[in-house]
Amino acid sequence: MILPVAATVTLLATAACGGGGEGGGDGDGPQSITVGAIPIVDVAPLHLGVDQGIFEKHGIELTIENTTGGAQAVPSVVSGEFDFAFGNTTSLLVAQEQDLPVRIVANGVTSTGEEGNDFGGVVVPEGSDIAEPRDLEDATIAVNNLENIGDTTVRNTVRQAGGDSDTIEFVELPFPEMPAALERGDVDAAWVVEPFLTSAKAGGATEIASNFVDAHESLSVAYYFTTEQVIQEDPELVDNFTAAMEESLAYANDNPDEVRRILGEYTEIEESVAQEIVLPTWPTDLNRESTQAVADLMVHDGVLEDKPDLDELYR
Amino acid sequence: MSTDIADPARPSAAAAAEGGPPAPKRAPNRLLLGAAGVAAFLLLWEAVPRLGIIPGRFLPPATEVLATLGERVLLPEFWIAVLDTLIAWGLGLAIAFAAAVVLGFVVGAVPALRRFTSSTVEFLRPIPSVALIPLAILLYGTDLASTLMLVIYAAFWQIYIQVLYGVGDIDPVAEQTARSYGLGRFARLRYVAWPSALPYLMTGLRLGASVALILAVTGQLIIGTPGLGEQIAVAQASGATALVYALIIATGALGVAVNVGLRALERRALRWHVSVRGEENA
Repeated sequence: MILPVAATVTLLATAACGGGGEGGGDGDGPQSITVGAIPIVDVAPLHLGVDQGIFEKHGIELTIENTTGGAQAVPSVVSGEFDFAFGNTTSLLVAQEQDLPVRIVANGVTSTGEEGNDFGGVVVPEGSDIAEPRDLEDATIAVNNLENIGDTTVRNTVRQAGGDSDTIEFVELPFPEMPAALERGDVDAAWVVEPFLTSAKAGGATEIASNFVDAHESLSVAYYFTTEQVIQEDPELVDNFTAAMEESLAYANDNPDEVRRILGEYTEIEESVAQEIVLPTWPTDLNRESTQAVADLMVHDGVLEDKPDLDELYR
Repeated sequence: MSTDIADPARPSAAAAAEGGPPAPKRAPNRLLLGAAGVAAFLLLWEAVPRLGIIPGRFLPPATEVLATLGERVLLPEFWIAVLDTLIAWGLGLAIAFAAAVVLGFVVGAVPALRRFTSSTVEFLRPIPSVALIPLAILLYGTDLASTLMLVIYAAFWQIYIQVLYGVGDIDPVAEQTARSYGLGRFARLRYVAWPSALPYLMTGLRLGASVALILAVTGQLIIGTPGLGEQIAVAQASGATALVYALIIATGALGVAVNVGLRALERRALRWHVSVRGEENA
């Protein structure tokens, strides 16, 4: 069936808009590249790297594109619109299983490894009869994405506590809506990350588990990644990006005050909240072991069909 | 009248050009009541969180939200976002309008072509633009182009359908008269078809403009193209509740401004039309 009208509209739109983004400069001067990142605490090193001139020093002129959801990161990098992006570990493992050529080039954000003092955790509302992870059996728990890092690690936490993780019902809710949903009693518990962990606690919620910590002592929740194509076309650029990123990660890790300051530049987190929240850690280590741990949990839950080949995923 | 496209909302030429009810005799009274209505709403909004009916963390009182908005309008970023939103809206609407007018006149003038395309149009028209977001991201990534695609798609149908009605509504007597006076095809288009269709076109433009603004903000909110919608998304991800409300009010104000502007444009373009002339004589 020919769709003449629709075709014309699409053509007009295409003609009016031109193609997508383009990356890379050549020869002299810094190389302009685009990196996709959600405007949350986790990507503070990226913004600090630009702010402190670290990327410039490595010959990179960086444009940070705000993405509104992690789900966009993978398709945007695969389509070449972003040269690099920040994407969470489970999304990358799923992308790899679908034969998308994603490659990890730098660490993204890592759990603090301290039970009860991490940047994400499971909270229950005031007066809840859920006191420990084991009580989460049969509960309705909010996570920001189903079949992703939240429910995978929460199930693991419940199993470790000796509970049956198959009886949990997970519902998908955006983080910002979780504190209100808890208070209304729409869900029995919620897995939240900062700054919503702090605001949920301020509203009387209790933190009963640090699911990242339970999964691995130093769990990398997300990474900066690119595609096999970019690595083949411009290995030098990828080397420079990795070097600049590692330097930025180290800077963020050593300067928490700088992190809290830069939050005011690219997020709308109120200053008082920014001073309070638990910051994650930003080691430069690529932390394969923790990715393996996440992959094993995903295979256990049936989110992944087969054991992934991490040699393929890491550059 | 050979309309294949059934639409209950088919306006008459007069209704198509409604510019609001006849001018009220007691305008001050109406303004006063309107202002009182807004004030009552704001008081209610202020009271609900203050009385703890809804916790202030989820619904900040009106004064706090308006104060936040007051701080925002002093920042250049805010106006850049407004401009970005208007660009996405205006560009998308202009492209949709041009495409719809050209296609509408061509398809509307050839009955066979109209019948050939009508089933396709009826299939495509109800597809909600937001459902095309994944497709837009695949095609254009997260820059302005993907939001434009949504805006164009949504606004196009609104205008196109109206143009078809307008072309179908040409008075056969006027058409025959023009023919017997020896007006050529183009002249008939210019002096008969265009004025007949104009009221419909204006209605389509107004409907398209509202939808285009909704889609421009939605695209920014979900895809992350720069603008007010993107700022709402960032504020939301940061847990800045008062700011979310403040920006929503700003988008609402933009919507009102767009509508007022288009009504004025409509009255100007249709000054000669009986529906508008009638109002001025009232």
